[in-house]
Amino acid sequence: MHFCNYLECKIFIIPLLGSRGTTLTSRSFRPPYLRVVSWQRKIPNKSVKMLSIISKSTNLAPYLKASAQVAATQLKSAGPPALVEAEKIISQGAQVLTAYSWNQVLPKSPLSVTSSPTATSQVRYAHTDIQVPDFSKYRRNDVKDTHAIAKESTDSRQSFTYLVVGAGAVGAAYAAKAVVTQFVSSMSASADVLALAKIEIKLSDIPEGKNVTFKWRGKPLFIRHRTADEISTERSVDVSTLRDPQHDSDRAQKPEWLVLIGVCTHLGCVPIANSGDFGGYYCPCHGSHYDASGRIRKGPAPLNLEIPPYEFPDENLLVVG
Amino acid sequence: MAGFSTTVYNALFKRTSTFALTVAVSAFFFERTFELISESMFNSMNKGKLWKDIKHKNQLNVKWVNIW
Repeated sequence: MHFCNYLECKIFIIPLLGSRGTTLTSRSFRPPYLRVVSWQRKIPNKSVKMLSIISKSTNLAPYLKASAQVAATQLKSAGPPALVEAEKIISQGAQVLTAYSWNQVLPKSPLSVTSSPTATSQVRYAHTDIQVPDFSKYRRNDVKDTHAIAKESTDSRQSFTYLVVGAGAVGAAYAAKAVVTQFVSSMSASADVLALAKIEIKLSDIPEGKNVTFKWRGKPLFIRHRTADEISTERSVDVSTLRDPQHDSDRAQKPEWLVLIGVCTHLGCVPIANSGDFGGYYCPCHGSHYDASGRIRKGPAPLNLEIPPYEFPDENLLVVG
Repeated sequence: MAGFSTTVYNALFKRTSTFALTVAVSAFFFERTFELISESMFNSMNKGKLWKDIKHKNQLNVKWVNIW
């Protein structure tokens, strides 16, 4: 075993067969498939019977339990690596309550993670290699220059902001007004109904002293062309003697034209024109007498005949409604 | 320019009350202008089709009749 200085030898074969078989002490005889190697350090030569090469290795193969162990260097331990159960230490960090404890939690040195006893890797902070984006596109022109004093351009910047907001508010106010107007006008009568609710009367067709009846909103409408005599009579009536005191000038816009709704205020009959004690209207149902101004003078009716809204757009035209 | 915007800002936009008043007043003028412009645009786009253009063709001579 002189060649088998254990510090120099790279390959040994564990003597599984003991001293049986032929012992050849030459490395060159080792067949290529007998690569099974194990070696032990500091084994007394005498106690271990070593078998380098077996002449009939085919017979030997079943007995060779391959326990492979490739050693990096001879100085390192052979044998299976012993796993020592190490205590795991996980840093919980201090509870952040004060500036001091906050300071304790902050990482103050480069972070490192150990994955094995030999491998060490460093965790790099991202800010060292990420470019800061260019936000100048989003900055106001007045403060694009980083050395510009923001205070100096405050008014113009805020004016612009408020101008934009104000323009939006103007549009919103306009839209809101349109919506409200639309809604409110939908509640009033539509234009065709209003057109039907009016009546135009050509005044030249009505001779003086004559009472003409029209139909207006389902009711009889009296148009009376009064004579000068009638006008002066009605104007001179003492208002205090009337049941429903109204002066004639309050009842007729133009003295010669009297416009009335021909419905008796008592129970709604249609009075007869140019009859009765006062030369105006007479209701045949219960005997109410109205004068030439349509005021109640005698009989059960409590009120004067009603005056509809009317106007004279020009000299010859009367519009009622 | 800076002086003008400062004046405008202080006079109109700085206080909410004046800002709201500005909005209301300009909404009034905006409405007038906007409706005038849109009306004239509508009239010029529909020239020849409006009632005032065809009114003379459809004119009826209606005489009011005493129906009572």
